[in-house]
Amino acid sequence: MDFAFTEEQEFFKKIITDTVDKMVVPKAREIDEKDEFPWELWKDFTRLGYLGLRYPEEIGGMNADPVTAMIFYEQIARGSVGFAQSVIMNILMGTYFVYRFGSDTIKERCLYPAMRGEKVTTMCFTEDQSGSDLAATRTTAVKDGSEWIINGTKMWITNGPVADFATVLATTDLSLGAKGLNFFLVEKGTPGFSPGQVLDKLGCRGTVTGELVFDDVRIPEENLLGAELNKGIEYLGEILDEVRVMTGAMAMGIAQAAYNEGLEYARKRIAFGKPIGNYQLIRAKFADMATEMEASRLLIYSAAWKMKEKLPSRIEAAMAKMFATETCCKVVDEVTRIWGANGFANEYNPQRHFRDARFLLYGGGTHEILKDFMGRLLIGKA
Amino acid sequence: MNIVVLIKQVPDPEALVEIAASGKDLNIEPKFAINLFDEFAIEEALRLKEKHGGTVKVICLGGPKAIEALRTAIAMGADEAALIEDGSFAARDGYDTALVLSGALKKETFDIILCGRQAIDADRGEVPQMVAEFLGLPHVGVIVKLDIADGKATAESALEGVPEVVEVGLPAIFTAQKGLNEPRVPLITGVMKAMKVQIPRFTLEDLGVPKDVQPKTTILRYLPRKKRPAVQFIEGEPAQAAAEIVRVLVDVERVI
Repeated sequence: MDFAFTEEQEFFKKIITDTVDKMVVPKAREIDEKDEFPWELWKDFTRLGYLGLRYPEEIGGMNADPVTAMIFYEQIARGSVGFAQSVIMNILMGTYFVYRFGSDTIKERCLYPAMRGEKVTTMCFTEDQSGSDLAATRTTAVKDGSEWIINGTKMWITNGPVADFATVLATTDLSLGAKGLNFFLVEKGTPGFSPGQVLDKLGCRGTVTGELVFDDVRIPEENLLGAELNKGIEYLGEILDEVRVMTGAMAMGIAQAAYNEGLEYARKRIAFGKPIGNYQLIRAKFADMATEMEASRLLIYSAAWKMKEKLPSRIEAAMAKMFATETCCKVVDEVTRIWGANGFANEYNPQRHFRDARFLLYGGGTHEILKDFMGRLLIGKA
Repeated sequence: MNIVVLIKQVPDPEALVEIAASGKDLNIEPKFAINLFDEFAIEEALRLKEKHGGTVKVICLGGPKAIEALRTAIAMGADEAALIEDGSFAARDGYDTALVLSGALKKETFDIILCGRQAIDADRGEVPQMVAEFLGLPHVGVIVKLDIADGKATAESALEGVPEVVEVGLPAIFTAQKGLNEPRVPLITGVMKAMKVQIPRFTLEDLGVPKDVQPKTTILRYLPRKKRPAVQFIEGEPAQAAAEIVRVLVDVERVI
């Protein structure tokens, strides 16, 4: 059994850590305060080439294995989770189905520019009345000659208000539930496709999130992203584990950023004549936080390793996501306590981590749904 | 134009450093980084290469972990790297470090050697000058500007308050000061190259450097930093308080 990163992965971790420290960390506060898509940072950062992280080298990617990818997801979220969500959308969910099923012309037009950061992308699952319950998707795709006509409204769409193209989940038959779902490519400028309300969120600010409206949007036949009709749910399974573990990795990024703030404070804040890190109750907090973060990382990286080795990882991915994001919420809470009233002040960072952590509880599947899912797999059909 | 950059891997500026119980060693958290000033040296070498062509080779004396520093240099754009692996490098001083590096440089062909002005761990800033001496090369220290033309270099040294412009024939050694440039962030193509590259490692025997060279200095002990005294509040009306502050600074603390 070998728990160590390879020398290459260690090096990658060092480089991405330094890059995030240099480029992202100094902007994190401003990103949160402005709550606008950080175009300048986007251009500077995406120029480095990380958006092709998971795609083959032949098309300009890095062909990173899942373990290396998790290192990236964790570090970028440590810098700014608001920025990380936009970046990861282009790396993973927003481009995967275009990469997997897009024609050459679609790839030229969408995938490659998205890998270079020239296009911003998104994936649209959630609707007003459906999130985890994908079978309740109401957005429809109706075939009309050689075109599909998309109708519906998507909600909580990461990058939605600024996206150049979107992978849209829609049903070809409302009566089929999950078995009628497909992914479609819809590009900005297509008549009937428009951004709607932009959401004002508690955390993860800087990722612009909002509504996308599809009103008789006509797209060509080849924009169906799938080898076969009505297999959308199956295809989704190809990235589901990575999306979940990635959410856990982002949670560890936030937790680490908060933990570091806590550590610095515990070493320098004086109370009763000594730095507060000298007091047992404060020390206990670090022991607990570090233990649970270590446990979270073991779950994350062992799940990623299983994905790399093509071993079953569905339960492990759900465990990693759930445990790491719950740990993150505990850590950001403890850190605000270590900071005392200063943890409540907008002047300092702990409150930002405290707000950001909440979103990861829902993104990648709520824990209520994940527990039900895991329990079903663990018990089997009772 | 062939450029060699000498770099050192140092403890990360955020690593915890404590004096060991013996008082003769430091316990340093194992987090490392390229010496800040060496990053400027690497960046300058890359810029010179981009302008004039040639190659950039980076050499580091250190333990096996220093491979990471060399990989970083490759990721930034260096063509070649080499590690002089020496487990006891930490016990060396500027003299024997410079002797080893000079040994390595005798096997290289170069027009320019770039180094950081000092390593941020020991802050001695003595190796490049000694390397220059051992190799019989001119040395220009603490530079903030470097231009190459017609086989000569014009460098601006950041002397305190008075910049000094120096012209020097090549080959020569230059040490980089903050302000020389802004080191680049590696592109992923460079990172990928660096992840795969095999970095050659050399021993002191390979370089023909005698192993028994003794350092010229010995560290006797490390002293804990003086604790900052408590803040003093000076009471009274502003004019009175100001006079009192001046008195304390001049007569008591003797800082002005």
